[in-house]
Amino acid sequence: MIRRTLLGCAAFATLVATAVPLWAADPVRIGYTIARTGLFAAAAPSQEQAYELWREQVNAAGGLDVAGEQRLVEFVSYDDESDPSKSAQLYERLITSDNVDLLMAPWGTPHHLNVAGVAEQYGFPIVGNTAASVAIREVQPGNIWFPTSAIPDQIGPELAAMLSNAGVKSVSIIANVLPFSQENLGFLTPALEAAGIEVRMSENYPPDITDMTPLVTQIKSAGSDAVLALTYPADSFLYMGQARELGVEADLQFLLIGPTIDAFGKAFGPDADGIVTLAHWSPEQGDWPRAKPFFDAYVAKYDQEPDYLDSALAYMSAEILQQAVAQAGLDKDALRTAIAESTFDTINGEVRFDGVQNVVTPTAFVQRQGGKVQLVWPEEVATAPLQ
Amino acid sequence: MLDNLLSAQLGFSAAVLGSLYALVGLGLNLVYGTMRLLNIAHGDILMLGAFFAYWWFTLTGISPLVALPLVAAFGAFIGLALYFALFRRQLAQGLNAPVIEARSLLIFFGVSVVIQNVTALLFTATPRAYRHLDEVYRIGDLAMTGNRIAALVVSLALLVSMLIFLKASLFGIEIRALIQHREAARVVGINVEKVQMVAIGLGFGAATVAGALLSMTEQTTPFMGFRFTIAAFVVIILGGLGNIKGGILAGFLLAILEIYAVTIFSTEARSILVYGSFVLAILFRPQGLLGRGKGA
Repeated sequence: MIRRTLLGCAAFATLVATAVPLWAADPVRIGYTIARTGLFAAAAPSQEQAYELWREQVNAAGGLDVAGEQRLVEFVSYDDESDPSKSAQLYERLITSDNVDLLMAPWGTPHHLNVAGVAEQYGFPIVGNTAASVAIREVQPGNIWFPTSAIPDQIGPELAAMLSNAGVKSVSIIANVLPFSQENLGFLTPALEAAGIEVRMSENYPPDITDMTPLVTQIKSAGSDAVLALTYPADSFLYMGQARELGVEADLQFLLIGPTIDAFGKAFGPDADGIVTLAHWSPEQGDWPRAKPFFDAYVAKYDQEPDYLDSALAYMSAEILQQAVAQAGLDKDALRTAIAESTFDTINGEVRFDGVQNVVTPTAFVQRQGGKVQLVWPEEVATAPLQ
Repeated sequence: MLDNLLSAQLGFSAAVLGSLYALVGLGLNLVYGTMRLLNIAHGDILMLGAFFAYWWFTLTGISPLVALPLVAAFGAFIGLALYFALFRRQLAQGLNAPVIEARSLLIFFGVSVVIQNVTALLFTATPRAYRHLDEVYRIGDLAMTGNRIAALVVSLALLVSMLIFLKASLFGIEIRALIQHREAARVVGINVEKVQMVAIGLGFGAATVAGALLSMTEQTTPFMGFRFTIAAFVVIILGGLGNIKGGILAGFLLAILEIYAVTIFSTEARSILVYGSFVLAILFRPQGLLGRGKGA
């Protein structure tokens, strides 16, 4: 009886000791908007799901370390309807009306650029993620940072270097007319020329294209060593299906956006092997010890693979914020200094900013190999050779 | 260039795309023709069919082709539910066609937004896809993926069946009568409400079946329907509003325009050609390719 009472008292004391600190502190409220409806809605879940996973993991571990104090994380989020101007209005609301403690980023370049103005106006630091344009360098540094290395003026020369290294002498290019593809095309074409790679065909296509047979037929006729399809997700599926049907036999096929989406692997299975695409993260990289656990946790929670670009970037941005808050707390000036001057340990390895940009992570490419997504370029981060 | 234009590959692609456009347009045309309802949510109904097929295949592992009768019934159920909830009373008021068209356009716009967002809420907006009938068959220079052959065969079979049904069956003749002249159909004793119910069931069923066929070849998302709504409207304007045969012809014409004109000019010219022909049709042949109100 005494033993049972003592055990009960001990259990109660343990419960109180662990629970009281959590009850004592208010949760940290983190605000963001995301495209749950509208044009970008199909692309944004990979980002928000990474946020959710991070929040769940942080809370399960006892909460966010706010300069030594553990506090649970609570999200305040809105649907920005894929409208960048609405996103900016909602971030203003998050700051002035909802009085959130921290902010996380919306989905996509235009949204980031609009929200950067709000961050600057209120001196509220935001770690960005899914923005990828040379335009991010035009943003006033100080309140927003971009961990991505998928910037078109770096992608073009790196892609040309990878192709040159692989012995590619000629390419066929097709490009969506949407901004990210065109921005890449603008930097890729001179880089290919500088590398001495012949461009045998270069065609643009509209985003609402429903059949690519004429384009793929031209690609086959061109007979080039590599195909560079500067796609968005929907047309990456269309290209892949029709290139497969028509038997495109180029040594290397590069698709800009699409193959890192879980559904791409499910749609094409082993036929997607060999496809190269843009991403700077892979769970196969053993030098980044948290990469595989993130991948496994994501798959376990959502029954789908994370997007190798967007999900990884979203989770990285949360890790950066987490480590900065542990160091500086919630004071905006201290937080700004911590983000700007610290080096962070993320699922994508070390990250450090100079101005708005991550200066550590190299621009990289991945290839689907045997159902896995391997980093194949550049050599310093490669997890497998290009096949 | 000439070799490309004469290639069987382009012909096959135009046939697949045309048959799907025709099927999607047929559904919209039946609903417009019999009730003057402008269903701007038609692409979203197609999307629901794609989701039905995706989940069917994912959960059962059985071909979505086997489930096509269920997919069609699902579409018909949605159509009838919307008919009874939103349109039956309005149609019974004897409003003139422009009023019904305007009201239905606004109502279906709301329905479209609701369907998209409820689907995103239930299943998330994450793109989904599955592998089915993706073997490539080759005959000479012609390469055909199994799922595209299936889409072509099923669409053509449904289009031909529908034409026969409309031409040869009593109920089909009643539908055509209603398309031609609503009041006259009522006067000669046709049960207008019954015909309307069948038409909306068939129209929505055609859309969900088209969605199921598309789900085998492309990614499924809650927002995939819009471009098919646009395509369906282009098809029925080109073919003549309410003209079933004209709509089917226009579906194939639109696909030929997309595939061959792109080969001759440039892929960038696609949208200009498609929407340009739409505008020209409205300006110079508003009654459509085969004229209006002639039935099937």
